[in-house]
Amino acid sequence: MHLIQPELHSRRAFLRRSAQLAATGAAYPLAMNLSLMSDVAAQSAGDDYKALVCVFLLGGNDHYNTIVSYDPASHAEYQRIRTSIAIARDQLAATALNATAAGGQQYAMHPSMVGLSGLFNSGKAAVLLNAGPLIKPTTKEMYRSSNRTANPLPPKLFSHNDQQSIWQSSRPEGSTVGWGGNLGDYMLGGNGANSLFTCISVTGNAVFLSGDQAISYQVGSGGPVRIWSVGKSDTESSYAMGFRDVGFAVRRLALDGNRTNQLEKAYNAVTIRAVSSADRITAAVDATKANSSGVFPTPYDKFVSRDGNFRNPLADQMRMVARLIGSRSSLGVKRQVFMVSLGGFDLHDNLVNNQPDLMRRVSEAMTAFHNTTVELGVADKVTAFTASDFGRTLSNNGDGSDHGWGSHNIIVGGAVKGGALYGYAPPLGNGSLSSTSAQDLWQVGQGRLLPTTSVDQYAATLAKWFGVPDAELPSILPNLSNFGAGSLTVDGQTFNYPKTLDFMTV
Amino acid sequence: MSNNELLEPPVAATDDSNQPPAPIQALHTSQPDERTASAAGALALGAIAAAALAACGGGSGGGTATGSSTGNTAPPPVTMPPPVALDTDLKAESDADAARFLQQAQFSASPEEIAAVRGSSYAAYLRQQFGLPIAQTGWEWLATRGYSSNDTGKDYIYNSTIAEYTVWQQLFSAQDAVRKRVALALSEIMVVSFGSMEIDWRGHAVTAYWDILNKHAFGNFRDLLKDVTLSAAMGHYLNTKGNKKEDAKTGRQPDENYAREVMQLFTIGLNELNPDGTEKIEGGKPVETYTADDVSQLARVFTGYNYDYSAANKVRLPGLSYDTLARDYARQPMKFTAADHSMLAVNALKGRINIPANTDGLQALDMALTGLFEHPNVGPFIGKQLIQRLVTSNPSPAYVSRVTAAFNGNGVRGDMKAVLSAILLDPEARSRDRLSDPGWGKIREPMLRLVQWGRTFKVRSEAGSWKIGNLSDVSYSLGQSPFHSPSVFNFFRPGYVPPGTDLATNNAPAPEMQIVNETTVGAYINFLTYFMESGLNTNNPTSNSTNYVGGQDQRDIKPDYSVELSFISHTTASPTDAEATAAARKFADRLNLLMCAGQMSSATYNEIFTALKGAILVDHWNEETKKNQKLNANTPIKYRLKWVAAGIFLTMISADYLAQK
Repeated sequence: MHLIQPELHSRRAFLRRSAQLAATGAAYPLAMNLSLMSDVAAQSAGDDYKALVCVFLLGGNDHYNTIVSYDPASHAEYQRIRTSIAIARDQLAATALNATAAGGQQYAMHPSMVGLSGLFNSGKAAVLLNAGPLIKPTTKEMYRSSNRTANPLPPKLFSHNDQQSIWQSSRPEGSTVGWGGNLGDYMLGGNGANSLFTCISVTGNAVFLSGDQAISYQVGSGGPVRIWSVGKSDTESSYAMGFRDVGFAVRRLALDGNRTNQLEKAYNAVTIRAVSSADRITAAVDATKANSSGVFPTPYDKFVSRDGNFRNPLADQMRMVARLIGSRSSLGVKRQVFMVSLGGFDLHDNLVNNQPDLMRRVSEAMTAFHNTTVELGVADKVTAFTASDFGRTLSNNGDGSDHGWGSHNIIVGGAVKGGALYGYAPPLGNGSLSSTSAQDLWQVGQGRLLPTTSVDQYAATLAKWFGVPDAELPSILPNLSNFGAGSLTVDGQTFNYPKTLDFMTV
Repeated sequence: MSNNELLEPPVAATDDSNQPPAPIQALHTSQPDERTASAAGALALGAIAAAALAACGGGSGGGTATGSSTGNTAPPPVTMPPPVALDTDLKAESDADAARFLQQAQFSASPEEIAAVRGSSYAAYLRQQFGLPIAQTGWEWLATRGYSSNDTGKDYIYNSTIAEYTVWQQLFSAQDAVRKRVALALSEIMVVSFGSMEIDWRGHAVTAYWDILNKHAFGNFRDLLKDVTLSAAMGHYLNTKGNKKEDAKTGRQPDENYAREVMQLFTIGLNELNPDGTEKIEGGKPVETYTADDVSQLARVFTGYNYDYSAANKVRLPGLSYDTLARDYARQPMKFTAADHSMLAVNALKGRINIPANTDGLQALDMALTGLFEHPNVGPFIGKQLIQRLVTSNPSPAYVSRVTAAFNGNGVRGDMKAVLSAILLDPEARSRDRLSDPGWGKIREPMLRLVQWGRTFKVRSEAGSWKIGNLSDVSYSLGQSPFHSPSVFNFFRPGYVPPGTDLATNNAPAPEMQIVNETTVGAYINFLTYFMESGLNTNNPTSNSTNYVGGQDQRDIKPDYSVELSFISHTTASPTDAEATAAARKFADRLNLLMCAGQMSSATYNEIFTALKGAILVDHWNEETKKNQKLNANTPIKYRLKWVAAGIFLTMISADYLAQK
């Protein structure tokens, strides 16, 4: 049986039912969360804190030019197939990674990723090769099989929005619960009355951070937006438009939670959360904000917001995450999951022109973020990891690449067993779907990678580090039960699919 | 360039928003050199916090409580009544009914329009609107504003701001309001975005695209599809421009972007649909409409197209040292070059598209678009999304099926007039019973709220320049602006279900909720306070230049509040309770009708009425007279304008208004 319907999981179903029973479904802890907390890692005294930061690269990152084949033989093959969108080998020397995969393959990061390749070589960052959504361990033969009952595939492969959703929630379109939010569900109790600040998005509304109870709370990269016309209390008018009575009315209308229409109720619930929390967060991060000249205090001054004429919105977002982490004591939180994102990766065209700035922004933002956590003394308590809709084709479509499946990703933090490559180095092929040549055995046409590590394994490794016990992992990651037993042998090589990988110090 | 920014991060203009409200800002951001600014624009301007993340891949996500999401079998056969025809004489029984219809069909309801609807019938009003010509295209407006001359070409060839002015101007002031409303809805289905529009005459290209949507809004879907496909803006946005056939020597493959999205988003969606919009289920699973191989095959059709770079189509603009494309290319279909077109056979969509090898390229395009157009999914897929944009997030399957029937037509397939009539005249849209259904309606989109305010209170640009720019900023502005979707997946997905709500419990989508979050709710309320009293500032409104000029922010986009001001008719220095009640009552009634189509709850109505009444009876400090005074007809107008602003403001932040029912 392949567990592709999260609802079927008793824990999740239980949580979901409970959430529905709760009067508001709000992020306030139920007794149940407190009991769950006893299952998880100790939340004892001291600076017991952990944070996970999902760095989502929107549009499908071209992983072939992010983690680039570098040993001479592989690079030659990469260059032969990619032609005009390949990066010349001599440009890669400065960002080469000091690690060798089991098959002898070596890699370099994109030439503009100086910071991250440095973190890799100093042991603070790792690379996970060829990861992507899978229902179960899958070979190309299984992919090509017409028996989808025995060989299930993730739905809606190659589609942007659905694969984003699957990476974040194991389900396509319309999904309402993500694994980041489920991690939050486990930690709500530990965060006590401050549980609203468990799952924080510094980008838009994303399913990743929505749990059965945990709310995906949204903060702008400049902090929360204060609503000036909503007074501070029911007895203190804002004098909106200059009228005392109008000020009172603003507050009562905007915070009216007693609505019958579900749309009205859903909208006002957001306003109620925003108003109830803005003062708390603002006060907490107040000491971390820029002065009137726009200069941030140490250690939040490491981020380069501007890159010539361009902003680096990822840096702005990650600085806000760092500021929130720096404010963890005053916010009263012990476990947090964050999400940030950068757009622009769907490089069907102009890949050569546009990729360098994108990769530099990713590298600069993630490097500055890690360096900030070092100064905050929480580097080993904070892990940032990349994800993207999908990888891309190895083939060149003229001046770009098209949608793919598996991709290479980067994990950064003091608890990462860095300086190493995890997963399996895929052969470089772009033969047809029917090709059975050795170099084509892990791709499904035009070099689209068939993943050898699933998102569930990637996520389970992070979740375990975060404090979720092994037995609870399948309740968060519905396909994980299909992993961990047995192996696949392809072309004489054995591929293992353990429930968790080894890239984190647990 | 492409559908990059599926979820652009919110970009705050400064570090902390923990500051008092800014003085009214001009609604215009200077972009002196958009060749460099445009990429920043891709980051900063596409700043909506919309996440395409939790998204629905298209029409498949609309599982309502009554959908077939649980069944393995097809829904039981139901005899569906036919769509309501345009010759129906159904009449509005009240002003509120008429206002409700008008707010669905267009942007706003004026007393004159309400009277027009009540004096004839809903269908007659639509027929009248269908018959209105496009008085002025966006392209023509650009020329009238001096943006289309070669002499000043170097200032506007890399300028997208001029198209923002154009579109806002038309949304606020064009007479053919229903057409404009439908065009805006179409711009959220067949999406192009300033977020990635780095081409010559980009403002003209997007304006021409807007004109295409307007041209076909009351035409035929098949014609719309073709013009969109070959447009300069879409050609760039989804990479048909410059797409070439396969090349065995270099390994180059046709670009698949447009082939995929034209299916997933513009015509058929990911899963096969029943006519009622629910998914077909076979063997317990949805049936996918196309495979990865279908995409690769269809991609061949869209090879061979490019802008016309021939010498005859180039021009040397004064002040530039290089040739650029002549402006007109931006409204011409892309040029076809047979040598770049793949001559391979195309067999896709289970034989629905079957193009033999060596078919002429233009003929192949027509065969492919016809194959898509004839697919049975188009009616429910597009029809349901148009219902969502105009009427309700969760139409019943029966409602969708009636709209599908209208799309499929009685002789003519894809007649937009028939589709729109079916949507707007349907009993489900018109019945008052729905108002008490707790899941009924939709969240009004932020840009629709602004346009409704503008049209209801008859705003005009005093200088005629309409310099309203990008209002996408999520922390300081509307959080939404026309043609600023963060990606081809629109600001929100049709199947987005807001987590942790009653709607999620019912698996009921509320697409617009995807851009409602703790940042945008506050930014919206703050933004309203900036302009509610006397209108919107723009920069240097008497000049057509888009360059920012310091110190020249001026109040140019002004409402006409004369009717509302007239409600304070008493001249007594100390108005009586009865006088205050009368003024507040008239105003609250007007707000309820014109803004909320009479749908205010009594609690909200009383809250607003009481605040307006209290504002008349309570002393206010008058800075000029240095005295406390109460509001009366002789009070300086700036104080009475605050009273008007307060009423509109309270209405526009009320849940009763935010959810259109």
